[in-house]
Amino acid sequence: MTSTLYTARMNTKPNLPDEIWLGKKEYSAWTDWKVNGWLFVATIISGASDIMFPQVVREWPIAVRALVALVPFVLLLLWVRSLARWVRGMDELHRRITLAAILFTVSATFFFVVLWHRLERAGVFQAIFTTRSPASWDIGTVGHIFLLMTFCYFLGYRIFNRRYQ
Amino acid sequence: MKNKLRELRAVKEWSQSDLADKLGVSRQTINAIETEKYDPSLPLAFKVARLFKLPIEDIFEP
Repeated sequence: MTSTLYTARMNTKPNLPDEIWLGKKEYSAWTDWKVNGWLFVATIISGASDIMFPQVVREWPIAVRALVALVPFVLLLLWVRSLARWVRGMDELHRRITLAAILFTVSATFFFVVLWHRLERAGVFQAIFTTRSPASWDIGTVGHIFLLMTFCYFLGYRIFNRRYQ
Repeated sequence: MKNKLRELRAVKEWSQSDLADKLGVSRQTINAIETEKYDPSLPLAFKVARLFKLPIEDIFEP
């Protein structure tokens, strides 16, 4: 009975990146959840603990506070695992495009963050935009890095995907 | 790399999607191979050769 549910055709269907791109006609909410579910949970927990930290969590014992702080990172590791499985299930062309986009993302983010940090330390932003406080130019937060990586990934994916269309 | 994939597929009257399903790859991969924008890996080239029952060198030429 079980074998009839898994035909050879189903098993050989490669993972398609478009299935986790919102707005594409191939988009599948279930596939997106399978790949990015842990990221969603990590974001919710991280956001909730960020809101609660100043009032509630700060009064908890140190071990509990450390646990609350570390839970999102454990969930992020689970997300990376599901992402790696997703990439492994792609066909060779899409795997090549995706890995190239990931390499581009990591390199571009590293380059941008280092460049930004050096300009910030040199006081360039403070000199140009005198109305802002120095603290507002720090991009070292997880949120900033994540947004930057997401942007770089989509940019990289578009660049490398165009080559094979 | 030049190849005869499009001609072989036409003989069998398969669409790109049909061939992609049979090889376990995406339609974009078949299109990229046919338009010579992408060279398939050795395992995929062997799969193609086995599917059309031809030697690899009859389908792909450098």
